[in-house]
Amino acid sequence: MATKQAGKQANKQAITLKGSAVLVTEFFKYAVNTILFQREVYPSDDFHMVKKYGQTVLVTQDLALENYLERILSQMQKWILTGSVNQLVVAIISKDTRIPLERWVFDIMLVEPPAGVEGSEDSNNAPRQPKPEAEIQSEIRAILKQIISMVTYLPVIHEPTVFNILAYTSESADVPVGEWVDTDPLAIEASKSQQVKMRSFSTDVHRIEAMVAYRYEE
Amino acid sequence: MNHPKTPRQRARSEAKTPLTPSVITGLNNVSLAPSPTKPTSRPFKGRAPTAPGDLTNPFLATRPKSRPSSPVKRIASAGIPSSDSFRSQTTGGVIRKGGVESRLEVVTHDYVPPPKHEVKRSKSTPAVNRVGADKRDRFITNRESTDIAAVAATLDQLSLNPQPPSPTHAARLAAATGVPVNRRILGYHEAPPAASSSDTTLAQQREFAKPLYAQRPGALSTSTGATTNKTRKIATQPERVLDAPGMVDDFYLNLLSWSCQNAVAVALESSTYIWKADTGSVAQLGECPEGTYVSSVDFSNDGAFLGVGVGNGDVELWDVESGQKLRTMSGHQGQIATLSWHQHILSSGCGDGSIWHHDVRIPRHKVMELLGHTGEVCGLKWRSDGELLASGGNDNVVNIWDGRLGDVGEGARGTAKWVKRNHTAAVKAVAWCPWQPSLLATGGGTNDATINVWNSTTGARIHTLRTPSQITSIQWAVQQKEILTTHGYPTNSVMIHAYPSMERVAEIRDAHDSRVLFSCISPAGDVVCTGAGDENLKFWRIWDVASETTKKKKPPTTRETTGGRVNSTKEGILRIR
Repeated sequence: MATKQAGKQANKQAITLKGSAVLVTEFFKYAVNTILFQREVYPSDDFHMVKKYGQTVLVTQDLALENYLERILSQMQKWILTGSVNQLVVAIISKDTRIPLERWVFDIMLVEPPAGVEGSEDSNNAPRQPKPEAEIQSEIRAILKQIISMVTYLPVIHEPTVFNILAYTSESADVPVGEWVDTDPLAIEASKSQQVKMRSFSTDVHRIEAMVAYRYEE
Repeated sequence: MNHPKTPRQRARSEAKTPLTPSVITGLNNVSLAPSPTKPTSRPFKGRAPTAPGDLTNPFLATRPKSRPSSPVKRIASAGIPSSDSFRSQTTGGVIRKGGVESRLEVVTHDYVPPPKHEVKRSKSTPAVNRVGADKRDRFITNRESTDIAAVAATLDQLSLNPQPPSPTHAARLAAATGVPVNRRILGYHEAPPAASSSDTTLAQQREFAKPLYAQRPGALSTSTGATTNKTRKIATQPERVLDAPGMVDDFYLNLLSWSCQNAVAVALESSTYIWKADTGSVAQLGECPEGTYVSSVDFSNDGAFLGVGVGNGDVELWDVESGQKLRTMSGHQGQIATLSWHQHILSSGCGDGSIWHHDVRIPRHKVMELLGHTGEVCGLKWRSDGELLASGGNDNVVNIWDGRLGDVGEGARGTAKWVKRNHTAAVKAVAWCPWQPSLLATGGGTNDATINVWNSTTGARIHTLRTPSQITSIQWAVQQKEILTTHGYPTNSVMIHAYPSMERVAEIRDAHDSRVLFSCISPAGDVVCTGAGDENLKFWRIWDVASETTKKKKPPTTRETTGGRVNSTKEGILRIR
């Protein structure tokens, strides 16, 4: 009886793969916006404040950019659903020289499903409790805050920049023809780059690890 | 003997190259540089005290040469994720092949190692290894250990093509070699939109808002912050302050006029007041009709009459002495933002962009209409000889009109003699030079903030000066070669510029608490009265009228003894009403 109730509750709270994909995509949206704002890829007055994850996040109101991100992220969501994407990279490139200056890397990993079969009697054996959404949100919040705080020590970019979003997918991924093309990894030479690992967050299904690499020359 | 730094550096970067294959193993974007300042914790470094051996090593000597020629490789080597396990393997000096290979599932086509020395290395390393019984050869063993045969084979095949292969080529190559290319790096086919180029309204808004974020030039923001030349000292405090409650804070209006009879007319909302500078007395001239407001005032040349423009489009004519309204000349459809007299002609600039000449002597007062502005006319000035009329509008245009009326009936269209479109904001500040009739100075609004001086004969622009903020009015000094301008946010200053050098002679920062809107010059040409949105009129003694020499040139004022000076009955704040 008791286990039945617990199971019900768990079902209510548990995040499905679909829900997780939505959550992760949404996180990407705000993360990308935050990066674009903080790194001044777009003028700061393009952005307006939005309440999200219990804090204010700056989101672009440039329609063209909004649509652009929307198109990318909707495809990203499909890939996350099929599990065929394992990394998203926001590369910030010098507008004039096309040299990559920063790479914000988000690894997307599938969390191993718990060994216990769904609906099995021994609930003690299944240690994984569904993660409450509040906890996920606070983890996301931490990452976004970390992106903001990064500005304090990332090198100041003096030149106009553009950005590019790369998706690292598996070979088997369904790629919309003509929309997505194989590209250069836009890597930064190891001798000239520094990298900082950031916080991570996880849903019941996905785990996102964030990292930034930036060009640093003495 | 031991070259201090560089060889070590080379050696280190050399030691790094063995890691290159692991690029392929992992996320080939991840770039990890061993921090350049801190030596890596490689065991051989510590254990091999014979560091000079680095130099003797032929491979190390050749390597730096080959490195620049292979940028692709460098980029690729950028992406080394040296996981801890991997590092422990390298530091252990032995890498189990299986371990590396298992990390080697990922081979992206992007990685193209340089052709030559990779091959050379794989071949030559064992040889060196065999030779080396030396301690130095630890380096080589180390390199050899990472030089996995499997990787080398793959790399050699790929390295045939020194250019980054096209995706299709990579696919074919992958198919031919049987190397699984099971990861793809995809990018969206379009480049992201350029910053706000797509959204013109946003760019426009940004352009408009830019002056609001303008930095105050200079650091200090003291209330009386003033800069003066060494040679020119001006009083940075007003000589007198008049309280003018209800003064409308509107850039487009012209609510201040100083007559040659030394009376100042100021319009406060719906009423007009005359302040006699000689006596300090204030009289209310009258009120405009209910529900509207006074939008402009201007004294006639002899100072006996006051033209009053009203918000509903009427132009009123008042007798200053008796305080009576003589007539109302209606017909305009918009507010009368500016008025200018020449003898019996009163010209009015209207909100609809038209300029009318009213002959105040005849019943059918409208004698001419000048159509040249598409925006509200907010600056209008007759040249003192009445030959030319200058107008500035909210359409950023300066027009110079022929002042001759001719035999044209009502509705006839005048055409401007000169049309100047250099300003990028509304032109409210318009002034004719009193001592060189062909000169016209105009000043633009917020987005322009530029003074232009024109030659009205040739139409040429003679001088241009950018100022830090919106120009709300402009005056020529009567006797000096100087121009006075008043400014809005952020400096709220009164500035004096030399002519023709256009150098700044003096600046009174924060002359008012809000933007300085109006200015007029005393008949003697020494005191300037400014009005602002902070509901104050301030009188500034800007120029000194030299008593002997200039008295002759002085325009005939009614009272020579006071010289048109403000009678200093009492210092301090007086009230207009």
